[in-house]
Amino acid sequence: MNAMSNANARSGAHTQQQGDIVIKGEGVGKTFGNGSVVALEGADFEIKRGEFVSLVGPSGCGKSTLLRMVAGLIERSSGKLAVHGDTVKGPRSDVGLMFQRATLLEWRTALDNVLLPTELSRKLTSADYDHAEELLAMVGLQDFTFTFPSQLSGGMQQRVALARLLKTGADILLLDEPFGALDEFTREHLNLELMRIVADVGATTLFVTHNIGEAIFLADKVMVMTPRPGRLARIVDVPFERPRTAELQLTPEFNALVAEVRAVLGDH
Amino acid sequence: MALAEDISVQMPGAKRAGLDMDRVAKHLAIFVGLIALWEISARAGWLNPLMFPRPSAIVQSFYVIYIGTGNAWYHLYITLTEVFIGFLAGSILGISLAVVVGLNPIVRRFLQPYIIVLEATPRIAVGPLIIAALGFGFTAKIAIVMLVCFFAPFVNTLAGMVNVDRSALELFRSLRANKWQTFRKLMLPDAAPTIMAGLRLAMASALSGALVAEFISSNEGMGVLLDRYTGSLNMGSAFATLLSLTLLGFTIFKSMEWLEAKLIYWRNDDAMARISARKRVQMKGAK
Repeated sequence: MNAMSNANARSGAHTQQQGDIVIKGEGVGKTFGNGSVVALEGADFEIKRGEFVSLVGPSGCGKSTLLRMVAGLIERSSGKLAVHGDTVKGPRSDVGLMFQRATLLEWRTALDNVLLPTELSRKLTSADYDHAEELLAMVGLQDFTFTFPSQLSGGMQQRVALARLLKTGADILLLDEPFGALDEFTREHLNLELMRIVADVGATTLFVTHNIGEAIFLADKVMVMTPRPGRLARIVDVPFERPRTAELQLTPEFNALVAEVRAVLGDH
Repeated sequence: MALAEDISVQMPGAKRAGLDMDRVAKHLAIFVGLIALWEISARAGWLNPLMFPRPSAIVQSFYVIYIGTGNAWYHLYITLTEVFIGFLAGSILGISLAVVVGLNPIVRRFLQPYIIVLEATPRIAVGPLIIAALGFGFTAKIAIVMLVCFFAPFVNTLAGMVNVDRSALELFRSLRANKWQTFRKLMLPDAAPTIMAGLRLAMASALSGALVAEFISSNEGMGVLLDRYTGSLNMGSAFATLLSLTLLGFTIFKSMEWLEAKLIYWRNDDAMARISARKRVQMKGAK
């Protein structure tokens, strides 16, 4: 029932064009070495509640840097950045992060890994165990609750990491190439599941990738970034209806959009 | 179908067990042969009885020192006590100091040169200095074992703490874990396999350390016993003492292996399977 109301909130964000702005950046930039190396030139962007936004670009375009600034893990060198109206000063409990590597604790079972975020903030209750089990079922791992990470495949490890991310209760999910290390087939499958899950929980999502097709397929909006120096070159709206199926990627409209993004990147 | 499967599973298993029995028998035959050859050579006078006492004499000595007079027990007890107290004190000190140093980069920077100097010094060479400072008693011997057992756990713990996975640290930071939580739930378990390897090294040198300490300064312990028997040319008892130490070393090695499998269960498939099964049952019970 919770998922229902969240799903409604999400479709609401779609129909009403002026949803609340959840993440707002004005001239957000990052330099290293006393300003001699520019990782990201000032970027302006707005992300609305429930939106799925992809950050796409080649290595060195500053997409991971931008994500880490939103996460509050690194300080920005210039500009303003606000999450839920508050200036970002450090990691927040309503922002969750997932990496290319699952970074599971290998001495903990899948269940205990999912419980980690809660365990770090308060004492666990039996409801937490139930919730963690539900989340594992949601990512399709109901039969691997008590399995240790080393006994899981790479794809399954990322599923556990996703369940752990959801257990934080964060309504903003930052995903840094979460399935980038997996094979094509597994990645496509997990992308479809990710779309379903994110819609279910009604989260706002920022998804970093270097795959143009993936970026468009998943997102409501694609932030196209170019390197040397890192720059937010253009924001492209993705008009396709949801729910989307894999076949969407075969349509001419989809490929036209891929060509458009590629053209922006192609100059570099 | 099920039957066929059973057979196909059991057949190679049974074959392997048969082979193992065969191998054990061969090993046993070779061992018995060697001992017999030794016994015959000694009796025939081909071997110098001062260097190589007869196996039967060694067995007899075993009986004398453990049951007849039973005097070896006390020395065994002394050596074991030195090994364990020295090992525990040395490794606890090593691990704790490494944790403090590992968590404080500034302390690490200033301590580093001293650690390198100490590490380059042969530990046993410090033995006589310790005896000069602490006298010929039990304390000096414990201190020598401690010194021998300090470095491996210290160096390994430090390495384990410094090499903690960076993305895992970033994860803990994004989850707003405090320093203690990050240490307790990430750094310590992550370093555990490396720390354990250090403990194994320390334990292996603890026995040697205790024996050397006894050789240079003591009037009790297995080292003294060995020294005394060799000095009085009682080679049967000397060999019995030496073999006791071999057995002791082997037992220590095996216990450390067992402890490692218990503590670092996530590197052991059987242990993981057992824990998974137990947790599954517990969860069912709770519901």
